[in-house]
Parts: sequence; structure tokens; C-alpha cells
Amino acid sequence: MPSVYTVASREFSDIIHSKRFIILVAVFSIVFMVGMASIYLTVLSMAQGLGIAMPTGFLGRAASIIASSMSYFAPIVGIALGCDAISGEREKGTLKTILAQPIYRDTFITGKFIAAILAVSIAVSIASLVNVGGSIVILGVTPTSEDIARLALFIVFSILYAISYYGIAILLSTIARRTTQSVIVSVTLWAIFTFAIPIIASLVAYMYRPITGIEIIQRPGGNVTIRRPSPEEMQRIIEQTRARATITEAINSITPNYHFTKIIQYILGFMQGGLNQSLSIYQGLVSAWPNILVLVLVACITLIASYMVFIRQEAR
Amino acid sequence: MTSIPEYVIETYGLTKVYRSGGGAVVAVDKLDFTVEKSSIFGLLGPNGAGKTTLLMMLTGLTLPTNGSGRVLGYDIVRESREIRRRVGFLPEGFGFYEHLTAEQNLEYIAALNDIPKPERRKRIEDILSLVGLYEVKNRRVSSFSRGMKQRLGIAQALIKDPELLLLDEPTAGLDPEGSRAFKDLVLKLNSEGRTIVLSTHLLFEVGPLCSSIAIMNRGRIVVQGRVKDLISKLMSEVGYKIYVEVRGDLGKLASALTGMEGVRGVRIGVDSLYVDSTRDIRVDIVKIASDMKVEISSIRVEEPSLEDLFIRYYRGEASNA
Repeated sequence: MPSVYTVASREFSDIIHSKRFIILVAVFSIVFMVGMASIYLTVLSMAQGLGIAMPTGFLGRAASIIASSMSYFAPIVGIALGCDAISGEREKGTLKTILAQPIYRDTFITGKFIAAILAVSIAVSIASLVNVGGSIVILGVTPTSEDIARLALFIVFSILYAISYYGIAILLSTIARRTTQSVIVSVTLWAIFTFAIPIIASLVAYMYRPITGIEIIQRPGGNVTIRRPSPEEMQRIIEQTRARATITEAINSITPNYHFTKIIQYILGFMQGGLNQSLSIYQGLVSAWPNILVLVLVACITLIASYMVFIRQEAR
Repeated sequence: MTSIPEYVIETYGLTKVYRSGGGAVVAVDKLDFTVEKSSIFGLLGPNGAGKTTLLMMLTGLTLPTNGSGRVLGYDIVRESREIRRRVGFLPEGFGFYEHLTAEQNLEYIAALNDIPKPERRKRIEDILSLVGLYEVKNRRVSSFSRGMKQRLGIAQALIKDPELLLLDEPTAGLDPEGSRAFKDLVLKLNSEGRTIVLSTHLLFEVGPLCSSIAIMNRGRIVVQGRVKDLISKLMSEVGYKIYVEVRGDLGKLASALTGMEGVRGVRIGVDSLYVDSTRDIRVDIVKIASDMKVEISSIRVEEPSLEDLFIRYYRGEASNA
């Protein structure tokens, strides 16, 4: 029986030698280096101007930029590799040629999965290493051994995140008749998850939990001041803010992006709005496990679904 | 003693219905047909007749809605992988990895067929020589012409050294030279004892190669059999066109033949007569001419061509005759 290895090795070789793969990794690396340098210099000059101390340590300075650049790169890699995995073979006629051989369909698609997982791992690892290396050069700060351990976990979860998008893309590629359809739908879905859902979440939270009790006073001469709320009002505002955050998170949690962000916040030890290195790696993993589970489930469910769709598809 | 034909393909009530959007299309309708071993079998019919669906079912790439079939003795549903291991299939609209060379593509197909590594190289080189692509084996497929890709398609079907070859629209897009090379290749492969099924709507391209044919239309086989038998059958149905070259009194002979039993018409040419008869009356014509002292220099029955056969059965005239 032809092994999964036969399919996986050819597929892997195709991916890593493809222009698309090389360009993607190269462009990302260049964009990251330029972006990192410009952001760091801007923040540095602002901090010096305002007399604010810069965060200390490698992750303190680089974590948010590395994480945010990976939050764009990983889905793009996943979509780029998955969007034509099946539909491309169908369009080129190679699917017919391959399926005319004594090969089970599950062998074929499993080989593709394995090749993609390896290729995604390589792409994410290269991008992360370029990220980290670039950060060391630009920031002039060397990571500690704990930073390196956290960065290794960051790479692992970035691969998982990219695979969850690969799963979505290959599912769409299996269903779609044409690659253009699966590309359009994959990219649209990514844009919705990345940009639209967070905005919608904020709007819904604002509608259902408006924050009341903050009084803005306009003084003669155009000056605006906010009336200091009473302790009771302050308590209410805090509760309303918490309720809004709960609604926002509940809506955002339908996207893989949200779970990746949460994992990375726990693993790299920074939280929104400031650095929080108080969590150990173990504590970070314990806190992040529900989010890790969601990403694993997204990857598994989409891969199993595309497998089932592919097995049942008619060759015509 | 009559030998019992050995069949490499047998189907019984094979049916395929495609359902989509609430509608149903019967692509193959209760098909019973057989293909004899070592024959060149033509599966003929217009586009949309159900030929491709039939081949897809025979190789297990599409499951039948109803009925059953066996290819080389293997069940088309339960043992489809065994079929694909032994049958070389050139599907319509096949493709290759264009960035790979011809040799690399065949290497991959050979690996998928579990051909041991030490054997692969020699087999690939032999097959590339057979299809005339050995010289360009290291060229990327993207630089190949349509005809070269078609030959590479046949090469991939041959890599497993199959007993049976199923070629779907094998001459589509070939130039006359490519078409002739293809025919020579088919005859050569058949002479090695392989059974070859040619599915096409281009009757004139492959029809003359076939020892047996089946004409399909709207998912059904309209007629099937050995070409020779089908032509005889057609002649008995549509009549015999007898061409007689005569020296002497044409009119007198024509008058004598007009009244004969079975003669539907006699047409007089310059030095010849065309007799349209329901039966073969050549012996009677020679006898009458001899009695009338009219000399016949030649007499022959004009056999219907494959085209006549196709047109008649495809149009469904046979059933109305």
C-alpha cells in the first residue's frame, strides 16, 4: 500500500520549494524588521519626551510586537498553504491522475495534512527566529533562559494557530469547486475574525452595557472636565466595565485569533495594557489551557470535516 | 469447438444517478455490458452519453447508485483498489505536476503504485521510450505540448504494467501526427495481449482500431458487439447495396432484376448497376446475367461503414426499423 509518507514527502517538497512559500517568509521577515525598528524608535522617542521609563527585559520590550506580528503571519501562512490544497489539485487535473492509482483517499489527504503541518512549522519557526533575532539586534537586549523557554512555547502555539487556519482553508478548498472561491472565502473569514468581530463585540457590549455615571461638564471657554464620581458610582462603573469586557470576550471567543492572543498573553507573560511577568511558565500554561484546547479543537474539527467531505466527494 | 469468451469487464444493471439542487440526472442507466479479453473495445457516444461516468464507476472513483460490476474479476465497489492496482486508467481532463519533469511525475506515480525502488528507474525509462518521451524525460511538464502530455498520460497508465487499459478521450486535442502515433501505440499494446478500452466521441479517430464497440447514448448502451457482426446485422436491417459492373445491355438486366423478390430498387449508372436489396442476391444476379448473355466484370456488396453504424444506432433508428 502506498504510504502516507510518499504523498507527504512530495507535497512537503512542493511547498517548501514553491515561490509562494519563500516569498511569504521573506516578505514577512523584511516587513517585520522594518516595522520593529520604526515602532521601537517611535516609542523610545515618545517615552524620552514624556519622561516615562521603558519596559525592562527582552520580552518586556519585544513581546507585544512579536506576538502581534505573528497574529497576522500565522493565519496568512495557514490560508496560503491550505486554500488550494484540494481545489488546486482538482483544477490542474492532478487529483484525477492520483486517484486513478491504488491509493485510498484518506492516505492522500493525510499525507497533505502532515506535509502542511511540517511546512507550517518551518515557516513559523523561521519567522519567529527572524523576529527574535531582529529584536535582539534592534533592541540590544539579550533574552534570558526563561525568555527562550517562553519563546519556544510561543513558537509551538503559533504553529497550532497557523494549523487551525490551515484547517479552515483546506476545508473550504475541499468544498469549493475553484481555488479562487476558497481563497476569497478564507481571506474574508480571516478579515471578519481579525477586524470585524472585535468591532462588533465592542458595539454589542456598548449597546447592552452602556457605562453611566460619568458626567462630562463643559465649562465656559470650551474647557471640558469629568466630574469625579462618588464611591458608589465608581463601583457601578467598574461593574459595568467588567460586564462589557465579559460580553466583548464572549463574542470574540468565537474566533481563533482571540484564543491565540490569550495564550500568548499568558505564555509570554504580558497582559493587555502592561507587562505581567508574575505568571510562571507553568501558571501561564494552566491559565491558557482552555484557549489551547479551543485551538486544538478548531484544527481537529476542520481537518476531520475536510477529510470527511473529501472521502465522500464524487469524482466527475 | 467454439471458445467461450473471457470477459475483463462485466456490468449488470449498473446505474448512476447524480443528485444536485433537488434534481436528479441519470448519467448511466441500467447498463449491462461486457468487454472481451485482449480486444480493443470502443466505447462510443456523444458528449454527455455517460461514458466517463461509466469508466469512473469501473475504477471505483464514483460509486454506482445501483447494479454491480466486475473488472478483471474484482468487484467495482468492494475491491476498487485492487482494480486500480491492475488497470491503467487515463481519465479525461487528467493533469500532471507541471513544475516536475516527466520522469519525476512518473517516479511519483510509480511510488503510489508501490513499485519497488530498484525496478522503478528501468520501468520508467522503458515506458518513456515506448511513448516516445525518453529524450525529454528531464524536461518540465509545463514545457510539453498537448500531444506530449497525452503520451505522458498513457505512460502513467502503463507504469503498473496493466492487463487492461481504460483510456478516456485519448485523442482529444491531438494533431494528425500525434493521433497516428497514438493508434500505432494502441495496436502495439494490444499485440502484447492487453485489453484496451477507448472511450471517445471522436468515432473516426479510434473506431477503425476497435474489434468490438458499444454505442452509448443518454446513459444507455444502444448497441454492442463485434464490429463485423454489427455491420452484418446492420446490413440485414437496412439492406444490401450491391454494385455490379456490367458489359452489355444494362437496361435489360436492370428490368430483369427489378422484379426479383427482395429487390427494392435498381439504379443505372454509366457501366454499372446499383441494386438495393433486402438480402444478398449476388448469386442470383450472376445467374440472370449469364442467362441474358450480359457480361459482369465485377460484383460486390458495399458494406456500411462504422459511421453508418454509429449514425443509425445513435439516432435510435435501429429500434424503429
